[in-house]
Amino acid sequence: MELFERVMCIEDDPDIRTILDFSLGRMGGFKLSLCESGLQALECVESFKPQMVLLDVMMPGMSGPETLPKLRELSVMQGVPIVFLTAKAMQDELAALLELAPTGIIVKPFDPVLLPQSIREFWEAGRGQSS
Amino acid sequence: MDSILPIQDSLKVLVADDIQTSRLELMRLVRDLGHEAIEAASGEEALRLIDVHYPDVLLLDLLMPGMDGFEVARSVRRHVTGKWLPVIVLSALQGDEHFAHALASGAADCLLKPVSPSILRAKLRQYQRILDMQVKLALMAQRQHAIHEHIADAIITIDAHGRVCELNRAARALFALEDGLDTSGMEFTALTGMELNQLLSGSEVGLGPSHQPKIPFSQSHNRWSMGHQEFCTIALHDLSESRRIERMKDEFLATVSHELRTPLTSILGALGLLAVGAGGTLPSAALELLQVAKRNGDRLNKLIDDVLDLTKLEGNRMELNLRPVELAPLIRDALTANSTYAQRGLVSLVFEDDARSCRVEIDPDRFLQVMANLLSNAIKHSPKGKTVRVLLQQRPNEVQVDVVDEGPGIDPAFKNKMFEKFSQADASDRRAVSGTGLGLYITRILVNKMGGTVTAESGVTGGSTFSVCLPRLDSAGGGPWILCVAQDRSLQERLADWLEELGGVDVANNLAGAEALIKRRGLPAVLLANPQAKGSANDFCNRLKHMLAPQRVILVSDSVNSAFAARYGMGWLSAAKTTRLEVMGRVKGIVEQSE
Repeated sequence: MELFERVMCIEDDPDIRTILDFSLGRMGGFKLSLCESGLQALECVESFKPQMVLLDVMMPGMSGPETLPKLRELSVMQGVPIVFLTAKAMQDELAALLELAPTGIIVKPFDPVLLPQSIREFWEAGRGQSS
Repeated sequence: MDSILPIQDSLKVLVADDIQTSRLELMRLVRDLGHEAIEAASGEEALRLIDVHYPDVLLLDLLMPGMDGFEVARSVRRHVTGKWLPVIVLSALQGDEHFAHALASGAADCLLKPVSPSILRAKLRQYQRILDMQVKLALMAQRQHAIHEHIADAIITIDAHGRVCELNRAARALFALEDGLDTSGMEFTALTGMELNQLLSGSEVGLGPSHQPKIPFSQSHNRWSMGHQEFCTIALHDLSESRRIERMKDEFLATVSHELRTPLTSILGALGLLAVGAGGTLPSAALELLQVAKRNGDRLNKLIDDVLDLTKLEGNRMELNLRPVELAPLIRDALTANSTYAQRGLVSLVFEDDARSCRVEIDPDRFLQVMANLLSNAIKHSPKGKTVRVLLQQRPNEVQVDVVDEGPGIDPAFKNKMFEKFSQADASDRRAVSGTGLGLYITRILVNKMGGTVTAESGVTGGSTFSVCLPRLDSAGGGPWILCVAQDRSLQERLADWLEELGGVDVANNLAGAEALIKRRGLPAVLLANPQAKGSANDFCNRLKHMLAPQRVILVSDSVNSAFAARYGMGWLSAAKTTRLEVMGRVKGIVEQSE
């Protein structure tokens, strides 16, 4: 049975990266790759081989929605669930994100205590699905 | 109206007479009266000078060689159209015929020669007054026209046949009509591409020349009549600019919300992690302070949600996803979603469902939001160990959801404004109660948008009840009322499901429930009942017999048989074996018989 241990987080805000590090890394026990941009993520993804990607939506340069299709093109990303992380909770904006068919959307502010459990659920639901 | 003269004290009088002495005499008279005189020695010259001097009055001798006075009068009537030029004809001839002839030819007035100075003075003064009045009217009309033309909104006036009478400049621009184009008599439908009633029925329309993107307009109109003719004047106000501003506001708010939530994510995240010991074990005093910070961070986050909702709601830009839903499961979801909060406050949540199918047309997400507001409010105001109850009650036309708490009740002074913006019960309230002050306001607007109402009552002995009333989907008044009495929920649901298309179906758990319903809305067309055990079935049927005519009752039961039912004059169906078609057929039969 496949062990779920590698999560890549793409988030431009350093403080939120710290929260993710505590929540998923130190408390959740995941191996993390914390990237501050989509570009950095694209560089790291081959070597890190994430089993799941948490992707911030609003980022300078390449946004989350722009990063997502680029990640999906890569063979190492086949069947890897991608979950958006967004502070935008307006209904129409969520609808626009859903068009990109992510495995899920986590709305900020999220509860860092419950986050490890929710991404496990997303992983169970979304893994292996062809994108 | 083309050449408007300023109002003046003296008149410009053109004197046309071929006989010089008589002409000069007339001119002298005119000048003596303070007016200006211009001379013309023939009819031809008079006509020519009219176009040069624009006289106010023409004194015209009738008998002249060449073009005589009659012909000049006719010509003036035909050709001088810009403004009215009164023609006073002069003649020394005895008798009325030539004067009558001249007046018929277009002359305004006549004078006998030799001209009496006092009569001439009186006549000229008269015409001066009339001309003055004309000028004033013309100026007024011109001003009104100019205002109408320059109103920024498009103004269209049409007659009772739907034909265009008048379009102002903005209206012509809207439909890309050239400036000189005569639009009178144009069909409204041809002009706008839409039926008049269609345009008048909505407050907002999309308009513009064909093959171009439509521009949003708000519409207002008035019907009016002049004499026996009816008109309708429509004013169209371009909404593109306000739409643009609304969009900018939305974008601004979205950005602000993002910018606020990002730091809040870190703050709340750090606090949450500290609270579970991610930074080491904290002393209890530190934990207490941490909870204060966290609670208020949560409150700030809720405030962002509420403010965003509010701007959408108030700008009428929140689109509700209305669809028919079963209400009870949704209420259960709402209770589940708020159970953690209730547990934290040591408050129990109870749902008292009357277990009948109950469909309403609402936006489920927004209804959950309404319930979350009411439940969190009730929990917040409940002392520890108390209960918040949710009741679902059905009436013929509406459904009422009550959220009842055992808190201190509502302060009478607060009651009137509690559904208003930023209203919160006095802070001197004994409990530290947090909230945004927007929850009940948003609740009211959302409920209203879903076609319902929300009210609040204080109990006599404390506690408060918040009630949301929503219109029922399945009442609609169509079809007969069918009542199903059964303790078994699955049977209840099955019967209600099968009979729904025949009319309004209500269900009750027992005879007491049925009696209460009958008391409220009269007798049902058909009553289906499920007596439980054979022993008590006799009592059950005896009680039923007193409620309504037994031929309207069908016992749906396997505890009794058709012979038993027949003893009471009632119909019978097997609860386990009966089918949808069978039940529908029997109910229809009874309904048709009673009709």
